[in-house]
Amino acid sequence: MIEFHNVSMSYQRDMAALNDVTLKVPKGDFVFVTGPSGAGKSTLLRLIYGALIPNKGQVVVDGQNITRLTRSQIPYLRRSIGVVFQDFKLLPNRTVLENVAITLEVLGWGRRDIGKKVYHMLKQIGLEHKINATPLRLSGGEQQRVALARALVNEPKILLADEPTGNLDDENKEQILSIFREANIRGTTVVVATHDRRVIDGSHKRVIRLENGCIVEDSDVSN
Amino acid sequence: MSRTSHAKRPTLSGDRGQGRFAYFVRRALLNIRQNVLVNVLTIGTIALALLIVSLFLLVFVNLESTADEWSGKIQVTAYFDKEPDSTELSALMNRVKAIEGTDKVVFVGKLDAMKRFRARLKGQESLLEGVPADVLPSSLEISLKRKSREDGAIEAYVTRLKKVPGISEVQYGDEWVKRFNAFMNFLRFVGALLAAFLLLAVLFIVSNTIKLTIYARKEELELMELVGATRLFIKAPFLIEGVIQGAAGALLALLVLVGAYFGFLHSATNFVNLSVSVAGLSFLPPVYVAGIIAGGIMLGFLGSITSLRKFINSQS
Repeated sequence: MIEFHNVSMSYQRDMAALNDVTLKVPKGDFVFVTGPSGAGKSTLLRLIYGALIPNKGQVVVDGQNITRLTRSQIPYLRRSIGVVFQDFKLLPNRTVLENVAITLEVLGWGRRDIGKKVYHMLKQIGLEHKINATPLRLSGGEQQRVALARALVNEPKILLADEPTGNLDDENKEQILSIFREANIRGTTVVVATHDRRVIDGSHKRVIRLENGCIVEDSDVSN
Repeated sequence: MSRTSHAKRPTLSGDRGQGRFAYFVRRALLNIRQNVLVNVLTIGTIALALLIVSLFLLVFVNLESTADEWSGKIQVTAYFDKEPDSTELSALMNRVKAIEGTDKVVFVGKLDAMKRFRARLKGQESLLEGVPADVLPSSLEISLKRKSREDGAIEAYVTRLKKVPGISEVQYGDEWVKRFNAFMNFLRFVGALLAAFLLLAVLFIVSNTIKLTIYARKEELELMELVGATRLFIKAPFLIEGVIQGAAGALLALLVLVGAYFGFLHSATNFVNLSVSVAGLSFLPPVYVAGIIAGGIMLGFLGSITSLRKFINSQS
């Protein structure tokens, strides 16, 4: 589903964010990408959803080579990828319903269908009672779940999450991780970037460890 | 969460016929509602800018109409060497009427000319005692069509008129005509210069104000790109919003202009005191009103499209 072939990426000269990275994430896999701050975790995710183009190498996502996509093709790639951002990126003056609906509006869904689908999604993550609240009235955990709902509402093929448990307490962390697991069980390929060892330990999932832009450990023996 | 096919757009009965355009309009209206303050600022700026332009147009249109009325008084007088009889006069008048640029021709006989002269000397008629009644020459008073009242055209007309047999002398106050035309050309030049500066200033202000509204929604634009919105999908609601802002601004400007017009401009004495037939200013003709509304819409649209292009190109 995701392939990196000798990918290098640098924002400035002599400062490689990723250095000659090669990896394969098969369809339906659940991968944790870990490493210290500045290791290249976020860069790796941004390359997957086409926010960055590598300086060297090839990134293939769902059979499409990102380096060869035109600017007008990128949006169509992104529609099959759900992203949970570190800072949630919720629109403060929009309601929870409107924040989640944006993903479906982009796909051209009708109003009635959006209403039904978003309600269904929010019910699954236990936030249907907050449907008309604005994000500022929600706790950190709730905001994270809304961001997750927005990423999952169109049932993407790939789910990417950048430090999704950053500021959450243990209870909220477990809740978020169980939503990831559930999506993965239903067939979504999940890639979670985190530096939180407690999230990874005992997860029995594949772990890729990055340091200074290089893969220093990959628990997947088949890779 | 049941897994169905990806990115498939369901089409339930309630969605049919709604269309993307309806969605974009709804989104634009929602954006306006959610960003009232910024929108009020933009509409206010557009309205103020267009009000200045409208006021300028109002003054200019009135000056032009006064000048037009004024230039209508330009007259060419052709004198005969001898009084023509009725057959000769009719043939002469037909020849003059056939000259391109002739609007109206009036014959003034010797006796009529003396009557007019006497009327002008009201109170001092004794000066004319002993003067024969047919001392003044008979003449044709010719009004010209608009195009022939211009500086060069009037001279060409007079040359052709002089070639008509029986006409001994032609007078048209050439110095006065020259000065008047020079004044009008100066007025038009200053008007065009002012209008150009005003338009540039208005475009600059409006595009910057719209940029503010777009920057206020930077996060939203960024997010839409990240969830897979195409450029058209991102831009369309903003462009519609720009058009709505422009139209609202133009209507507001016209409303204030109408208020000001009926409040005091309508009854004001003619500000340049050139026209005696017009009391106060006349309002803008409908074509100008339509032009202001169209201008507002264009301003909103162009302001949005330039600001969006700058912003979206700077993303990703």
